[in-house]
Amino acid sequence: MSHARHAAVLGAALAALVLAGLVSFALQPYGIYLLSLWAVYTIAATGLNLTLGYAGQVSLAQAAFVGIGAYTTALLMPHGVPFGVSLMLGALGCFVLGLGLGFPALRVQGHYLAFVTLALTTLAFLVMRNETWLTGGIGGISNIRRPAGFASGRGYEFLCLGVLACVTLLAWWLLRSPWGRAFMALRENPMRAASLGVDVRAYTLLAFAIGAALGGVAGALYAPLVQYIEPSPFSLDFSLALLLMVVVGGSGLFLGPFLGALVAVLLPEWLRFLQDYYLVIYAALVIVLLALCPEGLIGLAERHLFRRKGRA
Amino acid sequence: MIGPDAPTVLEARDLVRSFGAVRAVDGISFAVREGEILGVIGPNGSGKSTLFNCLLGQLLPSAGQVLLDGRDVTGMRPAALNRLGVSRTFQLLQVFPQLSVRDNLILAGQEHVGSRIARLFGSPDAGLGAAADRMLGLFRLEALAAEMAASLSYGQQKLLDAAIAFMAGPRLVLLDEPAGGVNPTLLAGFRERLRAMNTEAGATFVVIEHNMEFVMSLCTRVICIAQGKIIANGAPAAVRADPAVIEAYLGD
Repeated sequence: MSHARHAAVLGAALAALVLAGLVSFALQPYGIYLLSLWAVYTIAATGLNLTLGYAGQVSLAQAAFVGIGAYTTALLMPHGVPFGVSLMLGALGCFVLGLGLGFPALRVQGHYLAFVTLALTTLAFLVMRNETWLTGGIGGISNIRRPAGFASGRGYEFLCLGVLACVTLLAWWLLRSPWGRAFMALRENPMRAASLGVDVRAYTLLAFAIGAALGGVAGALYAPLVQYIEPSPFSLDFSLALLLMVVVGGSGLFLGPFLGALVAVLLPEWLRFLQDYYLVIYAALVIVLLALCPEGLIGLAERHLFRRKGRA
Repeated sequence: MIGPDAPTVLEARDLVRSFGAVRAVDGISFAVREGEILGVIGPNGSGKSTLFNCLLGQLLPSAGQVLLDGRDVTGMRPAALNRLGVSRTFQLLQVFPQLSVRDNLILAGQEHVGSRIARLFGSPDAGLGAAADRMLGLFRLEALAAEMAASLSYGQQKLLDAAIAFMAGPRLVLLDEPAGGVNPTLLAGFRERLRAMNTEAGATFVVIEHNMEFVMSLCTRVICIAQGKIIANGAPAAVRADPAVIEAYLGD
């Protein structure tokens, strides 16, 4: 990708964040909550996009990492650990676990890897549900405080957007570096990559670990946002939802998760009047989108932009 | 010409690779000296590509040794071998389709520049921009630099495939059927480029090829493999005239 295009992508991402910040002044508390949730989802989906979209490693474990980040924050903050520190610890824990999860990917790929990563999500869910002494079991953990200075809805939204801005800059810089090129080489042609000196093992593990760490960051933000956590939001359903965000937005495209997460947050609201039919319609829309444009919404937008440019 | 005292770069000693009861490579020994362009010919299924895969760590040999500069590198992983200056192409086209042509080349060189951590904090093109441009010029791909590799024609991708193998300035390059599917004009240019790399950069080549004209006009020595064994080894003209080679491979 050319430098100009790289810069334009980053500009668009940061502009979206500024816009989200401005829009919140015209919104009710519930709208502000949704925007905060969008920021959290975007962070988690950006991590998955790195692992899956760029490095080509299928993962259904992202919900587990979000859960681990959330429980880490919820458990540490009442003991006086500052929010920033618990966020970092959650991300670090997920990084290490992600490294571990990368090892099966050195042996199996595709559907098999999907199953291995699915197992981690299930395992994490069972620990959250059954280890009551630690996690509170199905009762969960309530009264999670927000960090001082960010207690209000809008204040916390700005914190979420601020963290998303940091994650955006970090991911952008990482993907533009030689590491990003090596990650894409894993996706495109691991055999040739190895013959060119690319340490496939190291980069596979790193792709999982960094993606997982971003999941942990998202979780750390999620717990104080909703102020009450229990196991069910971190089940396999959420892993699938994150996968859908990446794919619907545009897998392997930097802005994909931004749009995918927006769809995931807004569509249930817009389709609320359909009640029980909502999931059917959602599923139908996703199928139509992927049949028409496998590169997702960003891919669709790019296609139209280029077509227009071609005509002009 | 290659002097008899030129150092041995690559050596195979009694290399064997079996697949079940089939001995695809059946006790092959040969040496490649610095500056040589060694041709490897032989019928389909004779074990040429399996030999390459054993030499380059893609496959573990069942028996025997591979030596690089006299050092045992048997079973060393491809990435590690590459960092010792050994590069290759594959029989089938192997590029990175969704990367630009320029990124294909930068990727091919970047792992040879500094440490992994230094690369993370260094320039996005790992300081290889100029080297990539030079390679693009050498293989006449300048105009396609920003295109996705997938959008190139087969012949252009074949050139890119070779350019990728040369990007890190290797001492030894193993090419698996470089001429396959390349049109005659492109092929003549390609041959000149290989020669230039050989004389100017001193790179040593081992080339599997079925195009006999290409082999005869490029290689300094040829070995012929049939049923996993070397049946001839010598000057190109002598190997072509060898009755055993004619019977097993060339036909009358």
